[in-house]
Amino acid sequence: MSKRAVPWYDLLVTLFKVGFADAVAYRGEMFVWLLATNMPLIMLVLWSAVAAEAPVGRYGQREFAAYFLSTLVVRLLTGAWVVWTMNLEIKNGQLAMRLIRPVHPFWMFAAENVAAWPLRAVMAVPIGVAAVWMVGGQYFTRDLRQWALFPIAVLSAWLLNFSIMLVIGCLAFFWQSSFGAFEVWFRLYIVFSGYVVPVDLFPRVLQDALRYLPFRYLLAFPVETALGTISFTTALHDLARQWLFISLALAVAVVLWQRGVRRYEAFGG
Amino acid sequence: MIRVQRLTKHYKVHKRQPGVLAALRSVFRRRFTTVKAVDDISFEIAAGARVGFLGPNGAGKTTTLKVLAGLLAPTAGEVRVKGFVPNERRYEFLRSIMLVAGQKQQLLWDLPPADTFELNRAIYGIAPAEFRERLREMVELLEVEDVVKKPTRQLSLGERMKCELVAALLHRPTVLFLDEPTIGLDVTMQATVRRFVRTYNERYGATVLLTSHNMDDVAALCERVMIIHHGRLIFDGTLADLVRQTLPEKRVTLRLAKAVPGGDLAVLGRVVEHRDDAAILQVRQSDVSDIVKTALATLPVLDLNVEDAPLEEVLANVFAGAEAKRLPEAAS
Amino acid sequence: MRYLRLFFIQLKASLLVAMQYRLDFLIDLGLAILATSSALVPLLVLYGDRQTVAGWTWPQALLVVGFFNVLRGILNSVIQPSLQAVVEHIRRGTLDFVLMKPADAQFLVSTARFEVREVTDSLAGVGIIAYALSRLGEWPGPLGVAAAVLIVGCGVMILYSIFILVVGLAFVWVKVDNLSYLFMSLFDAARWPASVFRGAMAWVFTFILPLAVMTTFPALAVMNRLTPAALAQALLVTAVFLTLSRVAWLQCLRRYTSAGG
Repeated sequence: MSKRAVPWYDLLVTLFKVGFADAVAYRGEMFVWLLATNMPLIMLVLWSAVAAEAPVGRYGQREFAAYFLSTLVVRLLTGAWVVWTMNLEIKNGQLAMRLIRPVHPFWMFAAENVAAWPLRAVMAVPIGVAAVWMVGGQYFTRDLRQWALFPIAVLSAWLLNFSIMLVIGCLAFFWQSSFGAFEVWFRLYIVFSGYVVPVDLFPRVLQDALRYLPFRYLLAFPVETALGTISFTTALHDLARQWLFISLALAVAVVLWQRGVRRYEAFGG
Repeated sequence: MIRVQRLTKHYKVHKRQPGVLAALRSVFRRRFTTVKAVDDISFEIAAGARVGFLGPNGAGKTTTLKVLAGLLAPTAGEVRVKGFVPNERRYEFLRSIMLVAGQKQQLLWDLPPADTFELNRAIYGIAPAEFRERLREMVELLEVEDVVKKPTRQLSLGERMKCELVAALLHRPTVLFLDEPTIGLDVTMQATVRRFVRTYNERYGATVLLTSHNMDDVAALCERVMIIHHGRLIFDGTLADLVRQTLPEKRVTLRLAKAVPGGDLAVLGRVVEHRDDAAILQVRQSDVSDIVKTALATLPVLDLNVEDAPLEEVLANVFAGAEAKRLPEAAS
Repeated sequence: MRYLRLFFIQLKASLLVAMQYRLDFLIDLGLAILATSSALVPLLVLYGDRQTVAGWTWPQALLVVGFFNVLRGILNSVIQPSLQAVVEHIRRGTLDFVLMKPADAQFLVSTARFEVREVTDSLAGVGIIAYALSRLGEWPGPLGVAAAVLIVGCGVMILYSIFILVVGLAFVWVKVDNLSYLFMSLFDAARWPASVFRGAMAWVFTFILPLAVMTTFPALAVMNRLTPAALAQALLVTAVFLTLSRVAWLQCLRRYTSAGG
C-alpha cells in the first residue's frame, strides 16, 4: 500500500493537463458545439430589427449589441457538460472506473470541464474584444472595480452552472435518465437568465423575484457587471447571492451523490 | 487477506409483461422480482493467491468480484478485503486494489495511453522516479514501447488490453481483480496477458482474483478455483481436485496405422470418440497401465497419449450435477 | 402496404421503449407545455412594447410560432431520433445489418426510431395556430388551408432531406451528432417571421437553410396572403433538396459499401 508521494496540487495540475489534452483532441466537436451557441446572435438580430423602429426600454440597437455580445461571451465561458457525462457513465457502467479511484469523482468532472476553458477563451475573448471595439466603449462600464469584479462573476457563474449540473447529473442515479429534468432546467434558464431577453425588460415584480432565484446569477449578473447597468454595490450583493446558490447547489449535489452511489451499489453498474 | 462470510447479494429487477398495455400500466405501477445473484457464499483467500471464479453467465461470479472491489454493497453477510469494508471505498483501500474489466476501460479514448499513465501517476500519488521505473519495466515486459504514444482509439484490442494492464498496475495494487480479462483477444495475446499477470503476482506477491469463460485462463493462472452456480459456491479447491472429484477417468488418445472396427476398441474402455484411424477412450485411472499395454499389443498404434479430461467437460459435468441436485429442491 | 406495416412495427417498438422510461415520460408531458410557453416569453415582452414587429402583429407572429412547433415536433419525433440511430449504427459498425435487410436502406434508417412523446410539441403547435387564428378573427379559406398543409409537407421534406444529408456526412465523419445539435440551434430561428432577419442571415435562411419556407410561408397561407410565386418557390426548393439528398445518400452508400467494414 502506497501513500501519496507527491503533493496534492500535482494531482490538480495533472488532471488539468490531461483534461486539456483531451479537450484539444476533441477540438473539432467542441468548435461545432461552440458554434451551436448562436442564440445570442439570433436574438441580437431580432432585437436590433425591433430597436431599429424604436428603442425598447433603455435598449437601442447598440445597447442590444453590447448586451447580447456580452451574453455570448459569458455563455461560452461558463459552459459545462457534466450532465451528459454522468448520464452516459451511469447508464453504461463506466462510472465504476471512477468509483474505484482514490479521488472524489467531482474533482475529476470539474477538472475535465475547467480544462476546456483555454479553448473556449480562444473563441470568446476575440468576440469580447470585437464587441467593445465595434459597439463602442461607452456602452460598457468605465468603473475599473466592475472590470475587476467581472472575471470573478464569470468564474462564479461557471461554478454555479457546474454545481447545478452536478445536481441534475446525480438524478440519473434515481431515474434512468435525467435529460428530462435538464430540459426543464434549461428552458427556465434560457428565459430567466437574460439569455434571450435582458432581465430589466421584464415587469418590475418579475425582476425582483428573479433576484431570489438562481437564474440571473448564471448570466445576467456578469453581463450587467460588464455593461455597468448595475452599480458596484448591487454587484457585490449579487455576488453574495451567487455564492449562496453555489453553496446550496454543491450541498445538494454532495448529498444526492452519496445517496445515488449507495443506490448504484445496490443495483449494480 | 480476503474474508467473505455468508455473502448474499439480491437485485430487484423491474418485471414487465410484453405488450403496449402492460407498458402503459408499468408507467404507474412497477412490479419487481428479486434475483439472488449471490446466495450465502463464504470463503477466505490468502495473500498472494491466484484464484479463479468459474461459472456460466449470470451465475454470480462477476457480482462477487464487484462486491470484493467495493462497487456493489452486499445485501447480507460480511466482506473484508485487507481489513477494509470494500464498499466504503476508503482511499487507502482503493490505493491498494485495482479492477481490470475486459469490457470497461480506464484508458482515455482520444489520448495516447501515456496520458492515462500520467493521470494515474498523479491520482495514486506515485513518486516520479518510481513511476518511470515501473512504467519502463512493464512497457518492456509487454512490448508496448511503440504503442503508448498512439491515441487509444487507434490501438488493436490486444494492444489496448496490454495498456489497460500497465495503467492498472502502476500503483502496484496488492489485490488485483480481473473480470474477463482475455475476452475477445486472440490466442497469443491471451497467453501474453496470462504470463504478465502471473509474473506480476509472483514478483510482487499480489493477490489475483479473476473471472473468466476461458478455461485456459483458469488452467494457466489459478491454483485455486471456485465454481459458482446459481449464486451458490458449489466447488472450492485446486484444479487437480476438481478433476479428481468429477471426472477422475483418464483419456487415452490413440492414433492408428489403419482403421479398426469399433468392437476392438470397446473391449478396452468407453469409446468417447472414434473415426477410422483415431480414437479417444475413457478409462479408470487404476486401469490405465493395463489398457495401454493391451492397446500396444493388439492394435496398430502409431501414437498414444494419456491425459485428463478437458476442463470444459469437467465443468459441464459439475454443472449438470448441480442442476440435478437443484431440481428436487425446486420441486419441493 | 409492406412499408406501412414496417412503419407501424417500428413505431410500436419505439412506444415500448418510451414507456420504460416512465419518469421521463411524465416529465416530458409537462416539458412540452413548459417549452412552448417559455419560448413565448421574448415574444410577450416584445409585443408588450409595441403593436407590430417587422410588419407582423402579435397573433400573426403567433401563427409562425405555431407552425414552428408543429415542425419541431415532427423533427424531434421522427427525423432526429432516426439520425441518432444511424450515427450509433455507424459508430458500432452495425449498419451492415441494416444494409443486409431486403428493403430500401434509406427508408429503414429514416424510420428506425420514433420519439412518441415529442409529438406533444406538434399538438401544442396546432393549439397555438387555432388560438392565433381566433385572435385574428379571419379564418383561412379552403385554398389557404390546402396551401398551408402542402407547405408544411414541404417543410417536413426539406428537414428530412437535410437529415439525410447529415447522415451521409456521418459515413465520412462519424461524430456527426454535434452537427445535428448545431442544426437544431439554427432551426430555432424559424420561430420568428422571416422578415425579421436582414443581411447575411436573411440570405442564409433563404437559400442554405430555407427557414422562411418552413414556417413563415404556411403562416402567410393561413392568412390568405401567400402568393402563387411563393408557393412555386416552396415546391421548387423542396424538389431541389429531395433530389440532392437522394443523390448524396446513394453516393455515400456506394462509398461505404465499397470501402468495406
